[in-house]
Amino acid sequence: MESRQLKMKINPIASPTWNFLRLNDVPIDETVKLNGRGKSIIQNIPPKVMVSSGSCRECGECEAATYDDLRQMNTGLGREADDFFDEVCDDVLHIRSRKNAKVSEPVCISYTFEDGDANAMRQEIIAEEGSSITVIMDYTSGRKDKGFFGVQTKLKACENATIRLIKIELLGDGFLHFDGIAAVAGRGAKIELLQMELGGGRNFVGVNTDLEGTLSTFEGNGAFLCLNEQKLDMNYYIGHRGKKSESTLAVKGALRDSASKNFRGIIDLKHGAKGAKGDEQEETLLLSEGVHNKTLPVILCDEDDVEGSHGATIGRLSKETLFYMQSRGFSEHEAEVLMAKGQLNFVRDLIGDEKSVGRIQHYIEEVFGDDR
Amino acid sequence: MEKERTEVNDIDRSIYDFRDSEEGFYKVKEGLTPAIVEQISKEKHDPGWMREFRLKSLEIYEKLKVPDWGPDISGLNMDDIVTYVRPNTKMSAKWEEVPEDIKNTFERLGIPQAERESLAGVGAQYDSELVYHNVKDEVSKTGVVYTDMESALTGEYEQMVKDHFMKLVPPTDHKFAALHGAVWSGGSFVYVPPGVKLDIPLQSYFRLNAAGAGQFEHTLIIVSEGADLHFIEGCSAPKYNVANLHAGCVELYVGKNAHLRYSTIENWSKNMYNLNTKRAICAEGATIEWVSGSFGSHVSYLYPSSILKGDDSHAEFTGITFAGKGQNLDTGAKMVHIGKDTSSFINTKSISKDGGISTYRSSVTVMPDAENAKASVSCASLMLDDISRSDTIPAMDIRTDRADIGHEAKIGRISDDAVFYLMSRGIGEEDAKAMIVSGFADPVSKELPLEYAVEMNNLIQLEMKGAIG
Repeated sequence: MESRQLKMKINPIASPTWNFLRLNDVPIDETVKLNGRGKSIIQNIPPKVMVSSGSCRECGECEAATYDDLRQMNTGLGREADDFFDEVCDDVLHIRSRKNAKVSEPVCISYTFEDGDANAMRQEIIAEEGSSITVIMDYTSGRKDKGFFGVQTKLKACENATIRLIKIELLGDGFLHFDGIAAVAGRGAKIELLQMELGGGRNFVGVNTDLEGTLSTFEGNGAFLCLNEQKLDMNYYIGHRGKKSESTLAVKGALRDSASKNFRGIIDLKHGAKGAKGDEQEETLLLSEGVHNKTLPVILCDEDDVEGSHGATIGRLSKETLFYMQSRGFSEHEAEVLMAKGQLNFVRDLIGDEKSVGRIQHYIEEVFGDDR
Repeated sequence: MEKERTEVNDIDRSIYDFRDSEEGFYKVKEGLTPAIVEQISKEKHDPGWMREFRLKSLEIYEKLKVPDWGPDISGLNMDDIVTYVRPNTKMSAKWEEVPEDIKNTFERLGIPQAERESLAGVGAQYDSELVYHNVKDEVSKTGVVYTDMESALTGEYEQMVKDHFMKLVPPTDHKFAALHGAVWSGGSFVYVPPGVKLDIPLQSYFRLNAAGAGQFEHTLIIVSEGADLHFIEGCSAPKYNVANLHAGCVELYVGKNAHLRYSTIENWSKNMYNLNTKRAICAEGATIEWVSGSFGSHVSYLYPSSILKGDDSHAEFTGITFAGKGQNLDTGAKMVHIGKDTSSFINTKSISKDGGISTYRSSVTVMPDAENAKASVSCASLMLDDISRSDTIPAMDIRTDRADIGHEAKIGRISDDAVFYLMSRGIGEEDAKAMIVSGFADPVSKELPLEYAVEMNNLIQLEMKGAIG
């Protein structure tokens, strides 16, 4: 059992603002006893997809430069968290779609944990030129389990390739969870990210995307549900370097009881990214007096021939919606549950994998079933 | 063929860029030491408590760090800044008693003319001290007090000043608030008695003439229950090759059901570090409206904040920022909702050109007891070339479910579609683009007092040539 002192600043923002808001980063200072427990099972490996595990240079099938790209890139969790992954994870799980292979069937990886498990893992997903790949990763434990799970995922979509990454987080409410993602998209490449953040006690999600190629795109959709004492901290950075690159980021969810959530979303329209467009939208439904929500949607713009926009809506159920629902026979509580489910279903319905959707649905019903 | 770009002219600063001799002026040494602070206190005949306050503020200043999140201010060296420059004259209520060169300065800036035509009272500060302060008789008769801070501090309003001075912006707030607490001089004190509604505005104009100097005026306004005031603040300075510093402080107390509009046109020269702090607190049913135009300065940190403490209180901030060559203007607003049924509205526009950097920064905080708080933030930025920069950094901190918060922002250049539409209606391309830029600034300019709206339109009255982009 390896005892690690996690003393770091996590989810640092690229454009700091007033320190009193406590949004520039999150200080972490605690001991984690890494025990390597927890299972990761690859449920399905479709044809034309290569999966291997080992150190970065071992597989020998990809050009070293491809890995160097990923190596140099930090996840949205920040350098200090990435240094931690480098120190504790010897092996990396490599997933790669071959050139021009259009793989519609997803690679499904399930990570299951029990009470007391503490582990950290790394993956790299590479879609070679003209290929497409879908990877579904879900993290599960018992609802009341405690533990630690850190996961770092690095993506590279080469020219005209598509990576679709789906992450479903259903950990127990005693889990400390780090989920760091770094993604780079080449010319004409697309990265699609779907995230369901439902479980965990303290969750830190950091996504760093580099749209380096002309006509590259990023499409991010995230849904979250935070209940009781849950804390969720999200840090998204989307850098536009490629001409006519486009990004959309939509994050929706609900807070209840004493839950808290921070959302930072940065669209960085860099000099030279002519014709680039970036848009981010956030909706947070507030369901209890004790909730705490912080939102920081940022646009950085160093180029005139671009379009950037962001919007945020934070609040309770509107009186008009509530009145409408009540006139249809729903109680106030039922109306709130229905609307909260609606926030989550927007991502659930994009996933397209029946098994995953069923698992999410079961989790949501179970959570709201506790209210009965 | 390369497209011809629209030329949007820089703000014409020739009306501000003239200097007067500093011969015969009293100055303290450059830098910041307890001895200098004590010297300022002595020169200003401070009461004992103010002298102690200054020295305590200096201690706080020494302990606080410079901001680590905004524009670079490493070019500002406090060892080079003269914190107190007193012109060779006393404050007067008679225009003819003001020395000729200073009088000419304010004549060129149009202050006396504005006083005659459209103001209830005027204060004119030159470097560190007020040189002219006057209020119309009919306004004085209503019990409105409009005087310089030094007179208020040493006269019958000392207790009122003591009760309010830097209570809203304590020296611990940030490094430059502490600096202000240590070396402040000049500024205006306004008291509007209960129920008095002033139909025409009061105006203070701040002129910093001395090279390498700082201006640290303090504006304290108390608007009592049911009263109404419009206060206008203007500032300018000639350009020098050394850094100048403005670290003023504005504290506004808006009483129950009172209304205060605070308008500012800031046109400091492009060697100025403008590190100004403005804050208002609203009692039950009170309204604060900020109208702010930021055109000058080399670097600005400016975020007027509104504390909605009373139930049913309301705040609005309407601002425009124009960042040209060599300018890094970090502006915005802060709203804090504490009382029930409070509402706030922020509407800003930014224009960047010629390598100018404009940053919109804001925060909306809704405290746990602020039931039924409503806040709306809208910011738009226009980039006029590809060597400029425009960032928006708006934060929202919501600590109750009983709130409705909305935010929207857009950044871009002049839309080709909009130009095409206007041209299809028979408007020439240059006129179409001029119309779009003017329309972009219009929601702000229409909130300005007439003479300032005209000035702003002149500032952005754009000599269009060719096509943007």
